[in-house]
Amino acid sequence: MRYLKELLDSRELLANLTLREVRGKYKRTVFGQLWSLANPLALMLIYTFVFSLIFRIDPDVGDPSGLDNFALWLLCGLLPWTFLATVINLGVGSLVSNAGLIQKVYFNRIVLPLSLVGSAGYNWLFEMGVLVVALTVALAFGGGIMLQWVPLVVVAMAVFAVFGAGLALMLSIANVYFRDTQWFVTIVLQMWLYLSPVIYPSSMVSDVSEEIGGFFGGPISLADVYYLNPMVHFLDLFRNLLYDNRWPDVSTWLICLAWAVGVFIVGVFVFRRNERNLAETL
Amino acid sequence: MNDIAVRVDGVSKSFRMYHERNQTIKAAIMRGRTSVHEDFWALNDVSFDVPVGSTFGLIGSNGSGKSTLLKCLANIYFPNKGTITHFGKMAAMLEVGSGFHSELSGRDNIFLNGSILGMSRKQIAAKFDEIVDFSGVEQFIDQPVKNYSSGMYVRLGFAIAINVDPDILVVDEVLAVGDAEFQAKCFQKFRDFKVEGKTVILVSHDTSTVRSLCDQAAWINKGSLMAVGEAAPTIQAYIDSVKGPSA
Repeated sequence: MRYLKELLDSRELLANLTLREVRGKYKRTVFGQLWSLANPLALMLIYTFVFSLIFRIDPDVGDPSGLDNFALWLLCGLLPWTFLATVINLGVGSLVSNAGLIQKVYFNRIVLPLSLVGSAGYNWLFEMGVLVVALTVALAFGGGIMLQWVPLVVVAMAVFAVFGAGLALMLSIANVYFRDTQWFVTIVLQMWLYLSPVIYPSSMVSDVSEEIGGFFGGPISLADVYYLNPMVHFLDLFRNLLYDNRWPDVSTWLICLAWAVGVFIVGVFVFRRNERNLAETL
Repeated sequence: MNDIAVRVDGVSKSFRMYHERNQTIKAAIMRGRTSVHEDFWALNDVSFDVPVGSTFGLIGSNGSGKSTLLKCLANIYFPNKGTITHFGKMAAMLEVGSGFHSELSGRDNIFLNGSILGMSRKQIAAKFDEIVDFSGVEQFIDQPVKNYSSGMYVRLGFAIAINVDPDILVVDEVLAVGDAEFQAKCFQKFRDFKVEGKTVILVSHDTSTVRSLCDQAAWINKGSLMAVGEAAPTIQAYIDSVKGPSA
């Protein structure tokens, strides 16, 4: 409880550090905030070309939205993914790169990784805004309405950001003790992307799983293992809301919420246990 | 009311001296250890009280442990043994301009740095003119700080830190910055602090600074407290020990 109060006291610092990241990031660029869109758009083009045109991946038509567009379907999963990848990539080094500050000033250290989540979240919000506009336009042709889903999308984004923050907290501490973490993380992120239904629908995994049956004839199937990946559920959540325009199952909500809260609590716990030693260890 | 501003009670602090430091996961897994080390005691059972309203000097040679003690006072290091109790709001100035973002303007950096030092937006806004005035960079306040001269940079940082308005101010040897005029301004600010009944803890190995500013002093040598009390005799004892009794 006392920690919660400390955290509340640092909210202004958190806001200022977030603003520092946001303002400093695209300073002295001609296109400014538009650069935030460049990376997902480039990925969208290349993935659409490779996986839709060549590999012929064909996700289900949005139900009930009636949308049938691979690029839009891809972005509904790709934008959350790039957000998480950014949070993890930057969060991992957030303590090490601010070593000078940590060794010279006392403040609540948790704001360092959290401010990165904030600034990445700001960019993400911008990207999602553009996506919502695109979806609204696409849906207007079919007579559908997007806007009523926006509040729920924001809730889902908040839950996902909490999940990302928990991971960032853990990894930032791990990186202080083992600098290998940052290199390890880049590999894991690459594997995680392909193990998550970002560029293909999770239904394809279920199909394959049914085909091959349980491992070694046992009751555990490929899909059972696959669904242990929290990203499967988070992406379901986003695609249900954005692409299909329907309520996600209650179980999807609950699983996502449980992952987010669980990871965040562990993250805060790990961080609390180590924050006093940071100045010496760095 | 308590007439003690800071109580340092039996503080000891050790650091690990690494003979071998292998901070990689490979080393941790393959050999079941990340390092071989022994403890080095930078501070050994140091106790003293800093009275309210005093200007307290911490003196000692290089490597005597005074900076470690300073960092303990500033909540950056945590002592292995003993406690440090602050009675009142404490602000530490170990480095000026920590957390400045070079691409942002002086104005933005005042708000950023102020909040790192624990001020609220309101407090900073109220003190803004005073900070700008003290730093003497009015003309350039909307320029990115990367274009500042090093003197301007330091002056702005110092102006923010001094305006945090704490009850207890902990200062490292940052006074050796800026030109003579700015130094005089800083010293005047410390005297103002004293008049307002606030406590200043100053770390320095420049005995003349300590002599002119401080009324109380503590001398630390190799992690142990050698003397504490009135400034003049403490400083004299330190100088005698450095020069040898014959000098």
